Amino acid sequence: MSQPVTFLGRAEALIGTHEADAVDRGVRNFLELREKSVEELPALEGLRDRARAIRLHALRHLDRLLTHFADQMQAAGGQVHWAEDAADARQIAADILDRTESLRVVKSKSMVSEEIELNSHLETLGLDVIETDLGEFIAQLAGDTPSHIIAPVLHMTREDIGRLFADELGVPYTEDPFELNRIARAHLREVFLRADAGISGVNMAVAESGSIVLVTNEGNGRLITTAPRVHIALMGMERIVSRWEDAAVVLETLARSATGQRLSVYTNVITGPRREQDPDGPEEVHVIVVDNGRSRILAGETAEILACIRCGACLNACPVFRTAGGHAYGSVYSGPFGSIVTPGLHGMDPWWDLPFASTLCGACEEVCPVRIQIPKMLLQLRQQAASEGRLPGWLQAGIARYARMTVDPSRWARAKKWASRLSGLISTGGWIRRMPGPARGWTSSRDLPRPAKESFNDWWRANRGS
Amino acid sequence: MDRDSFLTRVGRASITSQLPDPVSLSVDLPELPPADLLVLFRSRSQTVNAVVHGPVTRHGVPRAVSGIATGHDASSFMAWDDLPAPGVPSALQAVGMDRVDHVVPSERRTDHNLGYRDVGVGITGAEAALAESGSVVLVHGEGRPRMASLVPDVHIALVELDRLDRTLAHWAQKNPTLVTETTNLVLITGPSRTGDIEQRLNLGVHGPRHVHIVMIK
Amino acid sequence: MQGPQVQLFVTCLVDALAPEVGRATLDALEKAGCEVAFPVDQGCCGQPAFNVGLVEDARKMAAHTLDVLDDTEGTVVIPSGSCTVMIAHHYRELFADTHREEQAKRVSSRVQELTQFLVDDLQTSARARCEDCAVAYHYSCHGLRELGLDHQADTLLEDTTRAHLDGDRECCGFGGLFAIEMPAVSTAIMDDKLDRIEASGADTVVGGDVSCLVHIAGGLRRRGSEIDVKHIAELIGDAT
Repeated sequence: MSQPVTFLGRAEALIGTHEADAVDRGVRNFLELREKSVEELPALEGLRDRARAIRLHALRHLDRLLTHFADQMQAAGGQVHWAEDAADARQIAADILDRTESLRVVKSKSMVSEEIELNSHLETLGLDVIETDLGEFIAQLAGDTPSHIIAPVLHMTREDIGRLFADELGVPYTEDPFELNRIARAHLREVFLRADAGISGVNMAVAESGSIVLVTNEGNGRLITTAPRVHIALMGMERIVSRWEDAAVVLETLARSATGQRLSVYTNVITGPRREQDPDGPEEVHVIVVDNGRSRILAGETAEILACIRCGACLNACPVFRTAGGHAYGSVYSGPFGSIVTPGLHGMDPWWDLPFASTLCGACEEVCPVRIQIPKMLLQLRQQAASEGRLPGWLQAGIARYARMTVDPSRWARAKKWASRLSGLISTGGWIRRMPGPARGWTSSRDLPRPAKESFNDWWRANRGS
Repeated sequence: MDRDSFLTRVGRASITSQLPDPVSLSVDLPELPPADLLVLFRSRSQTVNAVVHGPVTRHGVPRAVSGIATGHDASSFMAWDDLPAPGVPSALQAVGMDRVDHVVPSERRTDHNLGYRDVGVGITGAEAALAESGSVVLVHGEGRPRMASLVPDVHIALVELDRLDRTLAHWAQKNPTLVTETTNLVLITGPSRTGDIEQRLNLGVHGPRHVHIVMIK
Repeated sequence: MQGPQVQLFVTCLVDALAPEVGRATLDALEKAGCEVAFPVDQGCCGQPAFNVGLVEDARKMAAHTLDVLDDTEGTVVIPSGSCTVMIAHHYRELFADTHREEQAKRVSSRVQELTQFLVDDLQTSARARCEDCAVAYHYSCHGLRELGLDHQADTLLEDTTRAHLDGDRECCGFGGLFAIEMPAVSTAIMDDKLDRIEASGADTVVGGDVSCLVHIAGGLRRRGSEIDVKHIAELIGDAT
């Protein structure tokens, strides 16, 4: 099924739908939770500054940190692989699974795995890949894609899920969330315990110790990295900090910003595979470090976006995300973060319009735990799009004309007079209900006051002298 | 791709990178108002649906644990070999509970794993407890299976009172190298949870549904 | 008592669409003791162009604005948070490493948003008046987040009956040209804002930016609402 190629096209299809309404309700819930968490404000503000410094430092010294990380992880018995792009990453993962004869694969939430389209690739190779985060499991069952980084099925109601389970798992219909939960738990427990390999993401790598940190609430992140023989971790190359103390600071800001919790339920720090005396744990741990366009972002003016720790707070705060939903962004990463990272990773074709899907209200920057200057980068990307001639003709011409008018006082005065006179023809009671051309976008839902007969400038000259 | 080519590309990108100037790292972590750590820990644990018991003496731990286990009608348990109080496994066996073997063989791993389907209770020690978030820190290794705090319906963590600290950030600063001394360190903050279905809180998704923390004085 | 001399930069929207706001601003400043001058060659600060990435056109308008204001002295008062942000924050970056670099620094350091000037600088005792009405205040985004404007409006409105407006710090959906580039999204955000305004029980919506207010007023009018929409200047000074 093809989707419209512009943000606006996708958004128009989604606004006012059942899905979009569910997103709006869900997101407002997250905002309330974050607000409660922010009651501890003074401590959080200090932590945010520190978290920002930690992440920017890491980006500034990224090659050195990655080297150190790899050496340490290898010393602990883990293996580190380097993937230039999505195809490379998929190949490496497939090779590991092949060599270890792993057929049953369980996965926990990993944006990188979606970015590289791993699941479909592994399935074509005949592997059984099951998503185990409850929301991801539900999305997978429904043949759908997640609509929010933290809440994958924000767009589905309990009735939707009840129907899905009845259809796909052969259980009696129920819409009780408690019952739905138990059904999923029982079903997935068997899956975990039989799995050959677990594939996870990485919230943060720690260079100094060669550790990877996985953060989950459900417990599946621990189960898939403990029960199977093989653990494969997919890591965006920028997801790293120097030291364990730095990771601790970032972890404290992450949960508060995402869901208002002080810490997520499970913070899982892994440093290599099972050692000889360990009673359990995987026999092999592989970290696949993925570039896939990140070095291109790092090299440019939107490098700061790589400081993101994937908390989802900017999505929750964004009025555009709230009304249009995640699928409107047409890509794995949505919301304000997605608007910058998607054109960064994949180029301006066709993603140039994502940075324009914003009112520049700044709510995103206000809630970002690492204080990323999102509006600044949206403007930079808009400038890039404009300089590449991507703006619609009417907009470029209209602005150029406006600029010429307003820098010439007598021309500006005349233009205002004409606008007022002309608008007199299409207005009633001082208001215009229908505008022609591109401006009809305004009058589709709003009246427009007609330009005043006497502008302020006119009034001043007439009453206060020039 | 090989490591050198990968890292060379990253290094090259750093040259033209337009990262903002970093804010200098402040020396101290933010000041927090003073608090009674145990009172704070109890309160925050409650917020995340974990139950704090005690403090009890080392001597009283087996009874406390068997009380909790029988309260949940458990018939089987897993336990770390080196708990901070003696006598716990035998106390549970004395009330008729079976102990589940926790050493996973390299071969026939799946068969062993399937034996974890219905474990009632898992008992572990803890490296530390964090008052601000109501968390316990578990360091795994010899005699300390990860599964003990993961597959059972009920997790009981035994924590010595003097291991109670304020926040993760503070504790990590005091224990910077601990993560290298173990393959797996886990922070547990309450029972397993999800809000994925209509943002309604559900406990016990894949991990334990009940978390009990017994403080030892 | 002679107060400071200030320059009034009314903004292109006020000039063309809402001159009564300009007159009210003038009156408010004069009542607070200021001697107000109005540089008659002023046009647009360039924000509409800047926000869509058309930097050259933005520079053209900004350069003209710089020349007009640089020819004057005293604080430049602007009844708009977003236009103040444009001049105060973005002019420096627009003209960095150009021959106008110093001029940009000079002029941008002189601008003040109206409520900020009245409350923080002048510490005026003037207060907004609204007879028999319940006022809901909409905090426009640029002023709120980039200039920290909130207590100023609260102070000015302390003698009015405030209706509680849920989400009063959330965007109204105008977003400049966003309103006509992505009208469906702009409208959806606006509808949310209007629903909340109607639920607040207010009979008057007040704000500090005519851009947001034109959008809100246009939407309310389309709904057939009787709720009045005013710039805060109109509640302080006379618009006659």
